[in-house]
Amino acid sequence: MPRPYGSGPGEHMLKLALQRVILAVFTLAMVAVVVFATTELLPGDVCTAFLGRDARDVERLERCREERGLNRPAVERFGEWAGGLLSGDLGTSVIRDRPIADVIGSRLRNTFVLGIAAAVVGIPLAVGLGVLIAIKRDTALDVTISSTALFAMTLPDFVTATVLVFIFSFVLGWFPAVTLINVNAPIAELLPNIILPIMVLTFVMVAHIMRLVRTSTIEVLASDYVQMARLKGVPFRQIVWRHVLPNAMLPAINIVALTLGWLLGGTTIIESIFNYPGIGTLLLNAISDRDLPLVQSLALLMALIYIGLNLIADLLTLALNPRLRTLRA
Amino acid sequence: MKTRTLPLLICLCLLLIVGVAHAQDERGTLRINHAMEFGGLESLDPISQYRFFDVNARLYNRLVRADAQGLPAPELATEWSPNDDATEWTFLLREGVLFHDGETLTAADVAYSFNRIIDPAVDTPVRAVLGIMNRVEAVDDTTVRFVLNAPHADFPLLLTDYRALVIAEGSADRIEQTGNGTGPFRLETLDLEGTTRLVAFDEYWEGVPQHGVVEIFPIPDATATLQAFLAGQIDIYSATVAEVPLFNQDQVYVQYLFSGGWEGMVMRTDTPPFDDVRVRRALRVVADRQAMLDLALGPNGGTIACDSPVWPGDPYFSQMNCPQDIELARQLLAEAGYADGITVDLYLSDLSQTWTTLAEVYQQQAAQAGITVNLNMTSSDGYWSDVWMIEPFTFTSWGQRPADQILNEGWRSGADWNETYWNRSDFDSLLDRARSALDFAQRKELYADAQEMLWMEGGALIPYFTNTVRAVNNAVTLPEIDYDMVPWWEVTVNR
Repeated sequence: MPRPYGSGPGEHMLKLALQRVILAVFTLAMVAVVVFATTELLPGDVCTAFLGRDARDVERLERCREERGLNRPAVERFGEWAGGLLSGDLGTSVIRDRPIADVIGSRLRNTFVLGIAAAVVGIPLAVGLGVLIAIKRDTALDVTISSTALFAMTLPDFVTATVLVFIFSFVLGWFPAVTLINVNAPIAELLPNIILPIMVLTFVMVAHIMRLVRTSTIEVLASDYVQMARLKGVPFRQIVWRHVLPNAMLPAINIVALTLGWLLGGTTIIESIFNYPGIGTLLLNAISDRDLPLVQSLALLMALIYIGLNLIADLLTLALNPRLRTLRA
Repeated sequence: MKTRTLPLLICLCLLLIVGVAHAQDERGTLRINHAMEFGGLESLDPISQYRFFDVNARLYNRLVRADAQGLPAPELATEWSPNDDATEWTFLLREGVLFHDGETLTAADVAYSFNRIIDPAVDTPVRAVLGIMNRVEAVDDTTVRFVLNAPHADFPLLLTDYRALVIAEGSADRIEQTGNGTGPFRLETLDLEGTTRLVAFDEYWEGVPQHGVVEIFPIPDATATLQAFLAGQIDIYSATVAEVPLFNQDQVYVQYLFSGGWEGMVMRTDTPPFDDVRVRRALRVVADRQAMLDLALGPNGGTIACDSPVWPGDPYFSQMNCPQDIELARQLLAEAGYADGITVDLYLSDLSQTWTTLAEVYQQQAAQAGITVNLNMTSSDGYWSDVWMIEPFTFTSWGQRPADQILNEGWRSGADWNETYWNRSDFDSLLDRARSALDFAQRKELYADAQEMLWMEGGALIPYFTNTVRAVNNAVTLPEIDYDMVPWWEVTVNR
């Protein structure tokens, strides 16, 4: 017999939550180590990347490495960076000679503007379509929407982007093809630039969420309580809003969180194609410049967003689903 | 209808915002991009290794520029002359030239700018070109004397370097912020991660600039750059022949410019089997250069080269013939003891789009003479530091340089970038003699000998010079000259 709500399950919730948080911190630490090790393994460093063939001038190469502190052992550099991190200091970009927090600042905001805008458009659209085609399942409408969404998802995002740019920028001239504005530009100036990226992101994300919502909606529609409600004569619309949607959304929470993590963690390819000044393009530049501390900080930040959102999704699922949070005594 | 009005509305709002923010100059705005080559460290200091090329070319002037024939022509200097042995050069300055801050250009400014280049406390790559200067003195307000460490009959040509720009006396520690020069445009906003804006300097000595504003945007990604150009967001695009069909003839025009840039393969002449001149020659005469050019770059892609880095537009260019000769290659290899063929490893990376094509074409051509070429693809990161000038047979590429400069930078014994490890005192002596010969015809002859020597014995296979392909928005009139020689003040923008 399931226990009633009380201190027991609450404690259990807390324990579960704590477990997840500890796990998340551990994952972050692992990400930090792996990112550092892999970037360290790449051939070349900040100085060879910058000097190009001037690196033949050994004196200049050495001076550059000395200036940027690259001559110290890798472990020491990692230790210093990790130590600073613990005290909330992301360190200094080796190239830009500026605090990393400062370099990332507005770019993180820009990525969030794009990510949230895309989520606001894409996620409700996906959920709505999912419910719709579940209700109309196996009709021509279902087949059309499902296959269109799957097709849109299968196309690589850079292909979708190119096609949309061709139509809306080259032919119609409605939106700019690439973003040419200041990193710190007000959000109003960002808006015309994010319409095409949002369209591409929507194409990519709709199918995942929609398919999942469709499946769970079908399940809920077949459940006893929905049958009961129908037999009692509750209007269908009300059944959908009151009973089907909340229950069908439960399994979708995780995929929504994953999608959000993907959006907010910087959609590198999309940002790069549209020259969008977010953390995705910054990461690409940092990698090609071999700006290790910046690469590490960005990777960690992206991991943090991803893990954080998943953690929230986990806890939310726990909170919403009594079966998961109840002690099996 | 609704879907159509929304974007229009948004665009309108944007236009309003932009329009209010910057009052437009009626002469028009030129919009260009920069690739963030230095990741945001781009510097307005002309001699910094991170020089902000596109901006600096508009802010400052040289003393001397190269004309269409590759000969020195007046810019800030109006005339110049050497002493009897070309160890001292005296330059007369143009009068009434103003800096953006209103000060008048004097000889002291010029002396200051050039003494910085040889100041050991300043770290600058320009020293590789102008290190021959011993000291620079202001004789009077409009006369500057350059005292050299060694004779150099073509010293004015060295001053055409795109980084040999003049700043005001004592301004070195502020120049990165002010960009105070004598050029046709002055700095309004410097924003390396956003829009850098330059505005016309109406007191410019050559004439009033024909366009009012220059906007420079950072676009690190190559595809995004092309996209921006195709959508009309930037006006000038440095293209490849393969991209030309993408351009809409109604909106843009394409220019093909001869250039001295080249790419090729270099053998280390100090390493077997390339230390044998017969092997080197065999490996070079198997090349069918026209086929290489056609396959790697396409029509209008470049001009044939005969393993000399001196390009056809250079006054010291020497015309040679270098047809493919399989028989000669076989014979040379047999003499060198490789009658049954030879196997060599060629190193490349994907740093350049054409290296791979060129390597495969060469592999096929060389096979005809019994030469097996193994292609070793290496990482593009660290290629210049870990592969080039280390492995015995590697790919390379160079930008355009005047004869004296490229031969000294790339072939003088012991030079930093002597990639073929060419160590020949007779060759060095040719270069030295050319530098001290005050007679042009005599210099030309000496440089011709040097080029001939490279074709007969050298270690570099230089199949062609690459044309510059440039696409320009119809609204902009850009003269058909090399990018770093364009008189930017004359360019008009009608939009």
